[in-house]
Amino acid sequence: MDHFPTNWGRPRNDAFDAYGTYPIAQRPYNGPKDTFETGVQRTQQPIVTGTSVLALKYKDGIMMAADNLASYGSLARFKDVERLHSVGNNTVIGAGGDMSDFQYIQSILDSLMIEEFTAQDGHSLGPSEIHEYLSQVMYSRRSKMDPLWNSLIVGGFKDGKRFLSYVDLLGTTYSSSTLATGYGSYIAQPLLRKAVEGYEDVLTEEQAEKIITECLKVLFYRDARSLNKYQIATITAKGVHISESRSMETTWSFAEGIRGYGSQTQ
Amino acid sequence: MPDMVSLDRAGPQQRQFNPYSDNGGTILAIAGADFSVIAGDTRQSEGYNIQTRYAPKVFKLTDKAVLAVNGFAADGNMFVKRVRQRLEWYRHAHAKDMPLRAIARLIQTMLYGRRFFPYYVYNILGGIEEDGSGAVYSFDPVGSYERESCRAAGAAQSLVQPFLDNQIYFKNQTAAPGTTHPKHLPLQEVLSLVIDSFTSATERHIEASVGDGLEMYVVLARGSQLQGLENVPNVQEMTTTSDGERIFIIRRELKKD
Amino acid sequence: MNSFADRFAITGPIAELRKAQANVEDDEFSDAAWGSEAGFGSLAKGIPTFTVPNVPDPSSFLRLHTDDHADPNCRIKIQHGTTTLAFRFQGGVIVAVDSRATAGSYVASGTVKKVIEINPYLLGTMAGGAADCQFWETYLGMHCRLHELRNRERISVSAASKYLSNLVYSYKGMGLSMGTMICGWDKTGPAVFYVDSDGTRLKGDLFSVGSGSTFAYGVLDQGYRWDLSDEEAQELGRRSIYAAGHRDAFSGNTCNLYHVKEDGWRFIGNYDLSQMHYEGPSGTGYGYDIRVEGRSSADAPPATAA
Repeated sequence: MDHFPTNWGRPRNDAFDAYGTYPIAQRPYNGPKDTFETGVQRTQQPIVTGTSVLALKYKDGIMMAADNLASYGSLARFKDVERLHSVGNNTVIGAGGDMSDFQYIQSILDSLMIEEFTAQDGHSLGPSEIHEYLSQVMYSRRSKMDPLWNSLIVGGFKDGKRFLSYVDLLGTTYSSSTLATGYGSYIAQPLLRKAVEGYEDVLTEEQAEKIITECLKVLFYRDARSLNKYQIATITAKGVHISESRSMETTWSFAEGIRGYGSQTQ
Repeated sequence: MPDMVSLDRAGPQQRQFNPYSDNGGTILAIAGADFSVIAGDTRQSEGYNIQTRYAPKVFKLTDKAVLAVNGFAADGNMFVKRVRQRLEWYRHAHAKDMPLRAIARLIQTMLYGRRFFPYYVYNILGGIEEDGSGAVYSFDPVGSYERESCRAAGAAQSLVQPFLDNQIYFKNQTAAPGTTHPKHLPLQEVLSLVIDSFTSATERHIEASVGDGLEMYVVLARGSQLQGLENVPNVQEMTTTSDGERIFIIRRELKKD
Repeated sequence: MNSFADRFAITGPIAELRKAQANVEDDEFSDAAWGSEAGFGSLAKGIPTFTVPNVPDPSSFLRLHTDDHADPNCRIKIQHGTTTLAFRFQGGVIVAVDSRATAGSYVASGTVKKVIEINPYLLGTMAGGAADCQFWETYLGMHCRLHELRNRERISVSAASKYLSNLVYSYKGMGLSMGTMICGWDKTGPAVFYVDSDGTRLKGDLFSVGSGSTFAYGVLDQGYRWDLSDEEAQELGRRSIYAAGHRDAFSGNTCNLYHVKEDGWRFIGNYDLSQMHYEGPSGTGYGYDIRVEGRSSADAPPATAA
């Protein structure tokens, strides 16, 4: 035992316990090495990833946007991935992070909705229920040290109420009138807050779309893992609508004149 | 122990996944003679990033108990959820609310149950004891606890606690000749100390982790007067039972920068 | 063994670990957690159950997140740091402790009760992890009571301390940290046992535990005799804790003093250490400057009002 007085009360440390009296369970193993030892590792890092999701509240409901790119490291690997997914008639979830984990989440949500449908009890899961469910799944997976490596935004409109909330791989949740995941939380969130906070009940769909596409454009110019192909979802009293994939006009000619951006190196 | 089994050889040592995060914020509770005030700011942040300006950290458990949680928000919310579930089971079994000191012991055993995978949560429990006195219990993340008169925890605890030591316990103050320091402060004075603590912490805390809003719960003992609470702006009664204890919430704005 | 076989085996230690770790969420929820046992938390099933993180080396996980000595930036700061002492003499057992708890370099509390009243005849002291001591000594109290109910007599100090040491030994290497003295009076007379989280259990006349123990031992050893009177013994305990509080940054605030006699323990008092420094037991403080004042050439007598 480490009897040095100032170390009292601290978890034991190998550095202070030269005689190896503990822990019994961790004697060095000198037997044959096992080739498959690392085979038990689970998701410890995301592989194919999506970048930011943006969302805001406006007069009629919730608007969400995400681009169609799934990156493989720095490679723009898949350019037709849908990162906005509708769940039932009142909810859309948008995902950043690992796309395989997102597909798994889609499949468990789909089977959840089927199970609820077969009950035929007159209830259907709304956005807040789906968010609660997701936050429990995400938190319990993090507690098993086997996280689903995503940042999710859940947006919805049910019974005349807008719902917008966030959950991530740690199970952390929060809601506010604008949300952005990933890189968007640094770049788009300030812009969204400035344009939306205080105007949640007056912004029209056109105005909201203008704000969100402006933010996407800023992201496209500065986020190296983004793409100018994106989708916008609206969730209103009329239900869920996820747009077709569309492209954004971008110009890079200005870059020619900026030092460090174009061909000029000095 | 049958429930504890270890692998008999060391596996990979380095794991990248860190299951914890720090969501900032500060909580505070002060006990009076026949009341208790439990407060927390409403900002939730991660690093320098403000996630939201309104995420409550203080929760009503029963009409005589309020729990404030600070640290990792996901752990905190889940912990409150589990405590509430246990309190509901207790209510179904005993047809009454669990007494405050029993809730304190419950929280200890629940926290200690995660001794080897701790909840990263600092808990402060405030409320009214069975004898009608105001009480504050404070906990460390693995469940050691103590009844106190006041306690601050979280990002600005090192700013707020010395202030409270001076103003509540009268540390380093000498009473005027022939007088003594009061044992308990009146409610009005406690409320203004709480508000001052939070405005100062918001001003002086170096990281952007305290601010936006302030929620103060006031629990009044059975049969005690409102003690000026009726004149406080933005006060809202939250009492749900007719047991006698009354519970109020007061909301204030804090600086948002 | 091949890990493939390990992974799919339903028996053996790895499968057991897997089961324990799969339990991660429902540890606290069983039928026994309902109803009148609802207040007992993880004790509801009889033996305590614990959630273990699903990593190959749970104790290094714990150290990574809770050891502020190895990494001052670690976030989960568990309260610790202390001076405790207990000694046997002709008049019983004296137990004296300080009341400071530190988390990192922050004084988390100055009003901690470090003497845990297990039952009217048994005291436990708290050094090391505050929660470890509080929890396990409370748990020990439950088992001492069960022993009384089963055997129609009080548990001996020896048996109680052995129960505790066996208990913590079963968690050895998991990261528990406690150094405690189980003190009491039984058929054999006054008894003091030292038990720590390694499973060490020692019978003895005099122990001091914690970061300030070296300072306390200094005072204790020079003043200790078996035939101390009650008052002398109590003063020795107080004076030793004062010395530790004075010199050890992790100890201080106040001293709690207990005296165990044949009819059980008695709380003697709570003494403010800084008050002891300036005023002491009889108006003359323990403080060095107070004892020196006016008596050395370098330290002239205070100017008296003319």
